[in-house]
Amino acid sequence: MARLTSLPPAQAKRLAEAECPQFETTPWVIGPPLSQRRVAVVSSAGLVVKGEMPFRGRDADYRAISSDTKPEELLISHISVNFDRTGLQEDWNVAFPLERLQELAADGLIGSVGGTHYSFMGASDPVQMEPHARELAGRLKQDHVDAVLLCPV
Amino acid sequence: MSALAHYLEEEGIATVAISLIRPQTENTRPPRALWVPFELGRPLGPPNEHEFQKRVILAALQLLEREHGPVIIEDFPDDDPRAQPDPSWEPPIEPTGAAGRSSEALAARLETEIPLLRDAHAQWQAQRGHTTVGLCALPIAQCGRYVADWLRGCAPPSMREVFSAPLMLRFALDDLKAYYLEAAAVGASKPSSQQLGDWLWNETAAGAAILALREACLTSEDERLRLIAGNFMVPAARVPSPG
Repeated sequence: MARLTSLPPAQAKRLAEAECPQFETTPWVIGPPLSQRRVAVVSSAGLVVKGEMPFRGRDADYRAISSDTKPEELLISHISVNFDRTGLQEDWNVAFPLERLQELAADGLIGSVGGTHYSFMGASDPVQMEPHARELAGRLKQDHVDAVLLCPV
Repeated sequence: MSALAHYLEEEGIATVAISLIRPQTENTRPPRALWVPFELGRPLGPPNEHEFQKRVILAALQLLEREHGPVIIEDFPDDDPRAQPDPSWEPPIEPTGAAGRSSEALAARLETEIPLLRDAHAQWQAQRGHTTVGLCALPIAQCGRYVADWLRGCAPPSMREVFSAPLMLRFALDDLKAYYLEAAAVGASKPSSQQLGDWLWNETAAGAAILALREACLTSEDERLRLIAGNFMVPAARVPSPG
């Protein structure tokens, strides 16, 4: 149900041929074993905590989501209507797996879970997102995060 | 996602991206990615399948321990077991009738239909402990009235200062769809997204109303409204073919 062949042909073609940013460098950061890593989630689902400003149009900034946020406090404000939301409605971990990461940390499979997690709105222009992403890296370092799991929708 | 991976890694943070659209990942070449054969919107696969979700996460995070790269793009081997329809699933309400396709009739049917789902949606909230309805911060009946007024051609002003009227309409539609889809997924059955979408778009007054509203807004003089109508009201797979 998820491969491009399962989508309407026009949508599959548009997705497969979408213009993607090209980079001249290939960065590569190494680190300790997984059992010692502090992991944060960065989602592109346009998630916002209730009461905060939803993503409007193609806002390129991000929202911070504390690790003690409850599912009932989150909303989806992604602009696209072409991805499934019923999975997320039933269980946030489908695209924002905080509870699963906390279980992996409790089992010692990862070191710990970051104190704050983040969401962009993935249909935004990557060029516009770049300064926000670079600023976000500083916040992640302050939280001693050394592994980021990027979750698309 | 792949661009974000690139920026963060350049700044010294190790990343691994889950990929849903492999050709895009191949083009952007993030440091590490795990392609998953799941539906768009479900990067971890099936809801409430904890062990399955953790297998996906670990398959992704373990790429961080590889010594040789970049670029690593691996494939997750298993399909989402929840992608299959559940024959035991039943819609929460009977169809409210196909008669009356005028804008006024559709608007009235929509406003009649919303309260019919009240009990099912309350059950959903009791069962799940949360709801994703709330973007426009209106009670659902008011949200439905706002959408119905657009359908009646009233072009109502935004009800929140921080949103333009077209944006208010988009958020009201998102809330309305979330209310219906949550109400439809209540109970012990495990419907696929296709089942839920078929019901919303083919059998409800809300589906018919949103499709009609889309058509009406496509002829608006407001460019923002035309943009939202054309791209952000109805999934591409649910837009009727021309003619």
